[in-house]
Amino acid sequence: MEISVLFFGVLAEVTGTHQKHYRGINSFSDLKHRIGDDFPEIVHYSFRIAVNNKIINEDPVLNGGDEVAYLPPFAGG
Amino acid sequence: MRLIDGPVTPTVISDTVAKYGENPDTGAHSIFLGQVRKDLIEGRYVKAIDYSAYEEMVIMEADKINKTILSEFDDVKTLEIVHSKGIVKRGEISLLVMVSAGHRQQAAVACAKAVELIKEKLPIWKKEVFEDDTQKWKQE
Repeated sequence: MEISVLFFGVLAEVTGTHQKHYRGINSFSDLKHRIGDDFPEIVHYSFRIAVNNKIINEDPVLNGGDEVAYLPPFAGG
Repeated sequence: MRLIDGPVTPTVISDTVAKYGENPDTGAHSIFLGQVRKDLIEGRYVKAIDYSAYEEMVIMEADKINKTILSEFDDVKTLEIVHSKGIVKRGEISLLVMVSAGHRQQAAVACAKAVELIKEKLPIWKKEVFEDDTQKWKQE
């Protein structure tokens, strides 16, 4: 399946991209490994992950077309 | 909730007051304004903040904050949030929170709570721009 991945804040700068599409993804774990391979430097940053605008606390079941977002600590205001 | 390009201007603030002032049941407004501060960080003064946001999620989370405030404070009529994206210079306003209620007590407490929820829940990030044009992501 195809998954759209978004990077925000410092992570957009570190990865050099705001959005990347991944094809042939089998699971969330698979996706995380592919992202880790593409952008190994992100392990040095703290972040949470949202799927379709909701922050997840455990690995979710992904469906084709889902939007996964890597979110550094919020700093609004 | 609105995300606007650049600062929250005096016109935006006064228009918001005028809009919510039309409700005849309202007896009190409590307004919080967040301003970009001239922080000194590692020998450099902040001259602006560059805000970025996950806009779709910001709108969804702001809707949840609105529901939380309205359910917790029975005298509160409305909550309005306006937040900047993009560049806001120091001395300019980047956040407007306005709570309108029947009476002042709940207006003030609900406004303070809304500001805390905004900082905790909204996916917004800021990059500080210094006077020497160097930049640094702010971690709070």
